[in-house]
Amino acid sequence: MMDELELLKKDWQKKEEHLPKLSYDEIHKMIWKKSSSIVKWILIISILEITLPQLLFLFPSFRSAISDSSTFNSGYIALSVFYYIVVIYFIYLFYKRYKEISVLDDAKNLMRKIISARKTVLYYIIFSLSMLFLIFLYYAIGIYISDEALMSIEGVDRLLEKKSLEETRNALFWVFSLSGLAVTVVMGGIYFLLYGLLLRKLKRNYQELKKMEV
Amino acid sequence: MNKELEHKFVTELENNQNIVHKVCTLYTNDRDSHKDLFQEITIQLWKAYPKFRGDSKFSTWMYRVALNTAITMYRKSKKRIRTQDYESVIFKITADEYDETEEQQLKLMYNAVKQLGDIDKALVFLYLEDKNYTEIAETLGITEVNARVKMNRIKNKLRTILDP
Repeated sequence: MMDELELLKKDWQKKEEHLPKLSYDEIHKMIWKKSSSIVKWILIISILEITLPQLLFLFPSFRSAISDSSTFNSGYIALSVFYYIVVIYFIYLFYKRYKEISVLDDAKNLMRKIISARKTVLYYIIFSLSMLFLIFLYYAIGIYISDEALMSIEGVDRLLEKKSLEETRNALFWVFSLSGLAVTVVMGGIYFLLYGLLLRKLKRNYQELKKMEV
Repeated sequence: MNKELEHKFVTELENNQNIVHKVCTLYTNDRDSHKDLFQEITIQLWKAYPKFRGDSKFSTWMYRVALNTAITMYRKSKKRIRTQDYESVIFKITADEYDETEEQQLKLMYNAVKQLGDIDKALVFLYLEDKNYTEIAETLGITEVNARVKMNRIKNKLRTILDP
């Protein structure tokens, strides 16, 4: 085999004559084309992932539904402050790690840094989805323990004309719990699919380089 | 970015474009993907060019960027024929008509190399380009000992592909 690879080496160096040849202008045109590198995709998708949950939180009816009911108010404000502090921390961390990615690194470091930036977004998503689920749950429990909370929900008075208080309470409790769960699972599912697809090849290559160290 | 830098870069790349073409040949299977990858490597080289200080040769610097792009940054387009299918067909035909001539032997070797994984291909590429193990190890971010071990494994792997 040694000889065969040497044979290949000689032939490989001869092969240069058959390679395509691009002109100065062709290359010059290329340098202004848009990159479609995986790093760019990760940046775009990560920005989307960071902003989408924010849009949901800023969605007028979602916010007013929560903030209008005085029972939830103090808890909601505390939760919001906590949430935004963590979000800002995540954005900072992602930005820092994204900036560290350099094509001039060795292959292993480059892959490690890309995976690390991507993981930051993964943790952010886990955090955001847990928060989203908690808000649904917080609401569901609020309804269960407090009549005032129950009455503050829009449309409840109309429901109460047809159904008893107990029935309405139960129905709304399940609506909030189950839709919370459904939204979390669906969004989580979409996310993990995207995360997996983007990084599958990269992770495989990274593992290959890493396992040599053991 | 000023015009002078642009001109210098394009000229250097034009003179050294063989390196990029060779990487593309190894990592893609059709003309479109070859062009695609060439373009992506060119963009990555250009973006990194301001950081090129000239303490190494331009060509040496290119190997790293080109391989990093091919292994990590490049997203293969969907049109691309799946390597396995494409190669095994060619491989079968050549294996049936196998004769001892050097050319046949080389053809088989090239096909075998193309069947390797991304990392293995990078090692073979650098080896074929006459790089020493220190350079191979530095480009991939592994130790020199591991680069040698890996190269031996690849040789074994190639032997199995060629002589099942």
